[in-house]
Amino acid sequence: MKFYLCIDDTDNLDSIGTGTIAEQIQEKIIRQGYGPCCLVTRHQLYIHEDILYTSHNSSMCFYGEAPDDALATIIDLAAKHLDTVAAVGSDPGLCVLAYDESCHYDELMEFGIQAKQTILTKDDAMACARNHQLHLSEHGGTGQGIIGALAGVGLRLFGCDGEIKGALKNAVINQSYTVADLKNLPEVEQVLDLTSKEPLADTTLIRLDNRSKTVLYRHHYVLFVRQDKNNQYVTIPKAEIRQLGEHFYV
Amino acid sequence: MSDQHQLPMEAWKQAQTLAINCPEFKPDVEEEWLAEETISCYNCRYRRFVGAGIRCMKALFPDF
Repeated sequence: MKFYLCIDDTDNLDSIGTGTIAEQIQEKIIRQGYGPCCLVTRHQLYIHEDILYTSHNSSMCFYGEAPDDALATIIDLAAKHLDTVAAVGSDPGLCVLAYDESCHYDELMEFGIQAKQTILTKDDAMACARNHQLHLSEHGGTGQGIIGALAGVGLRLFGCDGEIKGALKNAVINQSYTVADLKNLPEVEQVLDLTSKEPLADTTLIRLDNRSKTVLYRHHYVLFVRQDKNNQYVTIPKAEIRQLGEHFYV
Repeated sequence: MSDQHQLPMEAWKQAQTLAINCPEFKPDVEEEWLAEETISCYNCRYRRFVGAGIRCMKALFPDF
């Protein structure tokens, strides 16, 4: 069984981040003997004054493999972990989907895309969840986190949204790497020219000019780069990657 | 809070200067950093992204 798991709204201003909690859940799943699990992706959702996010309104999602009868165990494990570590004042939500390749997830993906552009409600989320027979649960507070949790699963299924958590954190800024070197990192599957969207040859040199991130693009972990005025390929700053996300990935 | 307490996006230098001199600056988790400069209001745990910029949850921004 392939499963998708997403959490949202688990933190407050002083707690550990939602991404860290997602990784903790992933570790517990692996300790249970399940897996492997993919890297966690961070999905930016709509920024609006009327949405009760802590500071940036993003959800954290991953998928993994597990035996067909493991779904209840995974849900229970994740729910208990959220109940234990979610911060005071947070509004956590959990979404777990047992993926069925015979199903159509268009509505779920559309929910994710809409959650990046407009205000959605818990009723919207629960209606969408019912149509897809997935697990969606609140874990304290207002439970508003179910909206982002469901959206995160939709966006991960969509495959063209989200930054890879922890990507390039050990790469050295101002250093050059070949595409082949970068592709040895688990968070880099492809290095694409931003303009052409074409993959670069393994021997191409890329200079890490900034705190860049790989993103989920067409279901792959992609590092987008572009040529500077000297025709040297360089990475794209994170602030620009986030702006691209509003128009480009979706 | 009025918009005069909102730092617009991409005011990188200003955000760095404010954060260096801020007694409450605390870096957010790495995946939430936005600025290249580590010490920057855009990377602070206590900033909140709003429509066109960020607000300081410690209410320490000056009038802009």
